[in-house]
Amino acid sequence: MISLVVVSHSHALAEAAVTLAMEMAPPDGAPHVGIAAGLDERTIGTDAAAVAEAISAADEASGGEGVVVLLDLGSAVLSAEMALELVDPEVVGRVVLSPAPLVEGLVAAVVAAAAGLDAAAVAREAESGLGAKRTHLGGEEVRTEALPGQLTADEPWPHAVELPVVAEHGLHARPAARLVARVADVAPGTEVRVRNLTVGRGPVDALSLSGVATLDAQQGHVLLAEARGPLAEDALEGLVRLAEEGFGDLPGGTGDQLAVASAPVALVDEPGVAGSGLEAAVGPVVRTAAELDLPDIPVEDTGTEHRRWMEAVHSAVARLGELAATTRGRLGAGAAEVFEAHAALLRDPALTAAVERRLGTGLGALRAWQQVVEEAAARFEGLADPYQRERAQDVRSVGDRVLRILAGLEDPDDLGEGILVVDELDPALAISLDARAVRGVITLRGGATGHGVLVAAARGVPVLTGAERLQGVATGTVVAFDARSGRLEVDPPAEVLAEFERLLERRGEARRRAMVAAHDPAVTTDGVAVPVRANVTSVGTARLAAEAGAEGCGLVRTEALFGQHRQAPTVAEQARAFASIAEALAPHPVTLRTWDVGGDKPLPFIPSREEANPFLGVRGIRAFRTDRTLLVDQLEAACRAAQEHRLQVMFPMVTTREDVELGLEALDEAVRRTGTPRPAGLRVGIMVEVPAAALRVGDLARGLDFVSIGSNDLSQYVLAAERGSAAVGPWADPLEPAVLQMVRDVCQALDGSLSVSVCGSMAADPDVAGLLVGLGAAELSASPASVAAVKERLRAGSLADYRALADAALGCGSAREVRALLEARAVSALPAGGTAR
Amino acid sequence: MTVADVSQFRAWIADTSAMLTEQAEHLTDLDRAIGDGDHGTNMARGFAACAALPDADGEGIDAYLKKVGMTLVSQVGGASGPLYGTFFLRFAAPLAGATSVGPTEVAQALRAGVDGVVARGKAEVGDKTMYDALAPAVRAFDGAASGGADLAGCLEAAAVAAAGGRDSTEPLVARKGRASYLGERSAGHLDPGATSATMLLESAARSLG
Repeated sequence: MISLVVVSHSHALAEAAVTLAMEMAPPDGAPHVGIAAGLDERTIGTDAAAVAEAISAADEASGGEGVVVLLDLGSAVLSAEMALELVDPEVVGRVVLSPAPLVEGLVAAVVAAAAGLDAAAVAREAESGLGAKRTHLGGEEVRTEALPGQLTADEPWPHAVELPVVAEHGLHARPAARLVARVADVAPGTEVRVRNLTVGRGPVDALSLSGVATLDAQQGHVLLAEARGPLAEDALEGLVRLAEEGFGDLPGGTGDQLAVASAPVALVDEPGVAGSGLEAAVGPVVRTAAELDLPDIPVEDTGTEHRRWMEAVHSAVARLGELAATTRGRLGAGAAEVFEAHAALLRDPALTAAVERRLGTGLGALRAWQQVVEEAAARFEGLADPYQRERAQDVRSVGDRVLRILAGLEDPDDLGEGILVVDELDPALAISLDARAVRGVITLRGGATGHGVLVAAARGVPVLTGAERLQGVATGTVVAFDARSGRLEVDPPAEVLAEFERLLERRGEARRRAMVAAHDPAVTTDGVAVPVRANVTSVGTARLAAEAGAEGCGLVRTEALFGQHRQAPTVAEQARAFASIAEALAPHPVTLRTWDVGGDKPLPFIPSREEANPFLGVRGIRAFRTDRTLLVDQLEAACRAAQEHRLQVMFPMVTTREDVELGLEALDEAVRRTGTPRPAGLRVGIMVEVPAAALRVGDLARGLDFVSIGSNDLSQYVLAAERGSAAVGPWADPLEPAVLQMVRDVCQALDGSLSVSVCGSMAADPDVAGLLVGLGAAELSASPASVAAVKERLRAGSLADYRALADAALGCGSAREVRALLEARAVSALPAGGTAR
Repeated sequence: MTVADVSQFRAWIADTSAMLTEQAEHLTDLDRAIGDGDHGTNMARGFAACAALPDADGEGIDAYLKKVGMTLVSQVGGASGPLYGTFFLRFAAPLAGATSVGPTEVAQALRAGVDGVVARGKAEVGDKTMYDALAPAVRAFDGAASGGADLAGCLEAAAVAAAGGRDSTEPLVARKGRASYLGERSAGHLDPGATSATMLLESAARSLG
């Protein structure tokens, strides 16, 4: 458990505050709370040395778990900061100084520490300690640390509406930019302010993007927008409509991240637009102008500096407009919004005011802007939501653009030819770089979900992220990387280079062949068509799957589709997402698997408890035995979407006939709710992954339309070996004849009365695909990336060949023998001069 | 005189202590106008404790000044504790190992000390703080040193510049510390921190030169 330290001018005050807060802690689980207050028990003052001692003692008491320091004001803050210079540097990394108000913060911190939260989380709880009181007193603003665009809360404004935040990433930079843009559309003279009612932040000026974004509004929060002025009601009405659209950020909407990632750029036939798509590249290091040291430009008078800054912003906004237009054409509206959000940041009155304040103190435009950008980026990095924290990259990116102009540097259009190495990948750069010259991009920092990385990946430009060790590597040094394996070679010897050349050649060849035949059906040499579908987790992967030639979807992992949600998605929201996936894959069918949750993959909105053996616990449909509301909601969404689209549903982790009945009853209830008959095309099935279900599949499948074998779970249950546990690896091979036997038994028990599909990772292995067909599977569902390869392999043999292969495999004594058999076949199946997978 | 040794630094602290004791009421009055009215007593108490530090045989300048810094941190009580404490701790660092120092070394030390104050208090010129006296003092010291002045001359220049900086705080509105709570009402008073910082430098000109 972490420890706490209270720093106050007054010893008596600190003692009393601790007594009050400790009433909230459980008697047997109270955190250690140290006190460093007063010069002695009666003299007011603070002593940095005493604070340092208290912190060291608290760290020891916490066993090195961490310390949160709560302080009153003035010298308490300075003394605490100084104390950090006096304690062991190793301890400093575990200490958080909290800006929370002392009493409220301490009470919240004691509760959070006793609950076992870590130091950062306890500090957050302490900071929001004011929320309850503020909400109770009607939003009287008492923050000591001003937010950008912060307004003081006086009496309520005449018009007010509540805006729920429903989109999964909350009000991050782009939806916030839409809110600001909507307000800016209203004629001047009308003012709007917004606060986050849920966590008690704000109010902020609704015209300030950085203000709105730092409200830290997350999914499930409620905002209060207030307006005054001639068009107040219009302004609020616009915001209500925007909120209903999830601020333009609902899945399938224009702002969908995945839409950006999966935009079909590979199809754009314009030189320099599409990258190699090989996820690997070799070449000399090139860098951008932005990585250079900025020159010291002589500072002129405030008026000149102000003009200089305004001109730079103006020219940056103009260029962002051009980029938005180009991008909309190439990548669609979703990607173009990145640039619109950047332009909105440059118009942000809070940032403008901060720059002007600095210009007023005699600072030059370049340094003033640099400081303001750094501060704003740091503020985003300080937010709780990791997704929002990444928006610091947006701020730095637009900041860099203006800095380059202020420093008189050329726009980095001509980078030379090779591998671009950047600190973080700026989205503007990602879209404007020439993919003929830039063969790949390596970032030193920044995650794999930054806007820039998504855009580059969508263009097929190979990107490797987080390669810190390239920091000091000289421009011109040859590097080679493979993003699939994460391998990175600096200045590699000739044999490694040759190895990469062969890899690129092989991937290029495989890609060309896959592209050519991807959309042809997989038909065996004796004329049996085997539908090959894809497993998808989002609208974006559904689009990718369609492009890769998938004939529909054999498994939508609905728990992954809504995995980022903190609250259960609504029926309408789910129906919309299901419809978008079905549209992407039309005219082929899409199979929805109902919520597959449990101790091993919890969802925030479905209660689950920790279990000793989560894989043998309350998983899949078992979670709805007591309360099936969320299951019925999901099935209702499926029914509604199935009225227009080709959808089927299946229930996971079915063990007994009672489980099947539970699913069917829930479906009946969902159908009743829609008020229309069950859609004619809506087929219903179960997953077979529990041996009990496999043994009794004839009984369980009665009245159903299909079954789907989840080979991953079936293997682990047949072999009693947990998947992902290295220790039982030797027992966990899905090619064990026992598993193959069970697949065949299921197919034979149904004997063609129902179609059997296989949707685990076995189905994604081209070598195994034929074997599964030989065992009796009529359909396969693979990862989008392997669809084309699976199809190609199936075309190489006849159904009779595959049946003979299955017989031979069942005659093997071990998984190893089966593997050897498959390898021997794979080699002989290769066309002459072909390339191995 | 162009160099100073540890005995002169001890004299500096003793002289500052005497001056602060004498001026404690004046400082407290200034602080009462715009703050919590404890600056004089706090500073006098802190420096008295420093002046009473025992004389350790063969102690280097930096070791002595670090002791002064830590004593101030523990004894002053208000924001001046960590601020003046930091000043002396940082001031001491560049003097490590030195037994006597001249203008070049003191220039370095003074800059390091003042940079420490800025880092600690995050103040800028015009915020109505001790930095308003210290910032011009550093510049004046450096200017005198590059003009070839000896240590006495440099410190004299620094003290005069500090006094000018102190006087410039009178019309300002405080933006840091307790005084900032008063807003516009803080204008029209000298800043007590700038006043005590000027005393410290005036004393240095008397004792170190």
